Amino acid sequence: MNLIETLKSKRKQILSTWVDRTLDSYVSSGFFKRSRDKFANPVGVNIREGLSSLFDLLLSKAPREEYLAPLDQVIRIRAVQEFTPAQAVAPILELKWVVRQVLSADKNTRHLLSELDSFDCDIDRAALAAFDMYTACREQLYENRIRELKSGSYILTDSGCPSSLARRGIQDKPPVH
Amino acid sequence: MAVVKVDKLARSVVEGPSLMTGSIPTKPWMEIPVKFKPGNYAYTTKPDILKYLDSQQGVSFPNAREWNPEDDDWKLPENWKEIIINGLADRLDRFRSLKIFMDCCVRCGACADKCHFFLGTGDPKNMPVLRAELLRSVYRNDFTLAGKLLGKMAGAREMTVGVLKEWFMYAYQCTECRRCSVFCPYGIDTAEITMMLRELLHLVGCGINWAMEPVANSNRTGNHMGLTPQAFKGNIDFLCEDIENLTGVKVNPTFNRKGAEILFITPSADVFAEPGLFTCMGYLLLFEAIGLDYTWSTYASEGGNFGLFTSNEMMKKLNGKMYAEAKRLGVKWILGGECGHMWRVVHQYMNTMNGPADFLEVPRSPITGTVFENAKATKMVHISEFTADLIKNGKITLDKSRNSHVKATWHDSCNTARAMGLLEEPRYILDHVVDQWWEMPENTIREKTFCCGSGTALNTDEIMELRMRAGLPRANAVRYVHEKHGVNHLGCVCAIDRATLTTLMNYWVPEVTVCGLSELVGNALVIEGEQRQELDEGLRTLV
Repeated sequence: MNLIETLKSKRKQILSTWVDRTLDSYVSSGFFKRSRDKFANPVGVNIREGLSSLFDLLLSKAPREEYLAPLDQVIRIRAVQEFTPAQAVAPILELKWVVRQVLSADKNTRHLLSELDSFDCDIDRAALAAFDMYTACREQLYENRIRELKSGSYILTDSGCPSSLARRGIQDKPPVH
Repeated sequence: MAVVKVDKLARSVVEGPSLMTGSIPTKPWMEIPVKFKPGNYAYTTKPDILKYLDSQQGVSFPNAREWNPEDDDWKLPENWKEIIINGLADRLDRFRSLKIFMDCCVRCGACADKCHFFLGTGDPKNMPVLRAELLRSVYRNDFTLAGKLLGKMAGAREMTVGVLKEWFMYAYQCTECRRCSVFCPYGIDTAEITMMLRELLHLVGCGINWAMEPVANSNRTGNHMGLTPQAFKGNIDFLCEDIENLTGVKVNPTFNRKGAEILFITPSADVFAEPGLFTCMGYLLLFEAIGLDYTWSTYASEGGNFGLFTSNEMMKKLNGKMYAEAKRLGVKWILGGECGHMWRVVHQYMNTMNGPADFLEVPRSPITGTVFENAKATKMVHISEFTADLIKNGKITLDKSRNSHVKATWHDSCNTARAMGLLEEPRYILDHVVDQWWEMPENTIREKTFCCGSGTALNTDEIMELRMRAGLPRANAVRYVHEKHGVNHLGCVCAIDRATLTTLMNYWVPEVTVCGLSELVGNALVIEGEQRQELDEGLRTLV
């Protein structure tokens, strides 16, 4: 079997390790790993689905555009959780480690370790796309903050609103922000 | 800082342990301190706001000061611990429910995976049982024999500054949505535990500005935004002009009119901010279409009651204002707009706090004659109950094709769904105003609905990340119906929802627009003598 066929045959094992390691990045991950109900467990199931699709696309040498949807399923979530940027995108790169673990554990597949360069490059490309996506998600967060500030209460309470002006008069100082 | 060479880094990725280390707990939860950093806490109350509130009758908000959760020193009063323990003793004495909730949890775990904050973070302290345990551990230590004798072995711990900080962190990572309570075999209302935590924190001057400034404004001018009567009326007049431009219908609402049959109260967000404005236009059109004898009040100009997120006394005072105004104007009953927590306060607390409202009459629709027996105690009817009754009795004409741009799904707002059981009326209305709408999956709707993630005054921008992860379970279900059925509108009956779900959708499912139910009614409403333009996007159409 060549590398791709081997990876396909070990799909279940690789995905299981990869998903578990990714979900281990949450403090209390038992439920995230256990529940397969997409609506009861959105983090666990979306990450599982996203990583599984990504793995299949990597094996089929799919173009970058096809990675985007499954990557989004994973990165959009991690971009708003308490991770550093590196921790948020790390799961993608960790596939390299997982694949090596699985291949080296089987004496029949150990020889394939030296053939991983091209697959590693594909993973790198996906990781770079993940980094772009992370940045886009963060920018979107800040845009949302700005939109709320512009459309919301600040303008009414603290600028032209007569009651705000009256309050300033009473206290004889501008409100602190 | 050491510079890591690229080749070494690459090796560490393929050979080394995870880059994502550090999350798996190695210590018991009690020993893991909270860490405040930008994005995970809401800004603290401005001292001038707190001083103003503390000066008001019937409420107490002491210890105003500048402080920052990120600092080690929170500038607590010297006897802070005594204040907290005495405050807890006082509340255990006053609120029997609190005492029961402290004692009866068997830690079965049914609630653990039901909280949207837990589901979005994986943080065990966001499991409702553990969030309650933050308070329960102190209760055991100071108020139970087992705790006094056995201490930690009985799950007890001493009140420390670290515990107080934990309270502040997690009392403001709960939106009091009460989804967990649906699954609790004992019916423990975790929202009330959060309410108690927040009350205790207020005793030592620890609160968030996004709750307290609206409270102060409501106390002063009657609404969250601090709008004066003139500004409030001006905004509605402006909406009336828009309605006339769009539909050719001239709407003439009245304000503070004594002798009107009905007082209409809605969240002030309906009057001043998108997308609530369109919902407000819906109300105005509906009332015009049926010739309702009603008045707005520029004093009871807020349905929302952030007192619910602050303290019992504050909630009572803000709720009392609505009834005081109803009495002053001499109306028969109150009609309430699309608000979430206003309805929780009205249904669960009003009657014992400010009732009985025996100066009002049991609400009876002047158009259909229906008597709203369900509102016998509160004398307040929800706009969806009122509208559904109009439709059922054939009193309004609706043209669904005017909502042909809408493929809707329905978000049950936590407070109206779980606190007042408003489940069928909105669905009945939707059936009559849009061609097609789809339910989200069963475990995300009705009593099991997921919160928007930004309720209880957490709808502030500085915790945007927190809001987005807490709202993920809701957004995830919306994305499902969007992908499966092409849903492009998310309907709801809550002002906070309308504002915060809009932001939530922008992040998670940008193809979906958030709208109020009365907006969809307004879109579809056929009014005699109207000269309606081609409104491709209903009342939102720019003409």
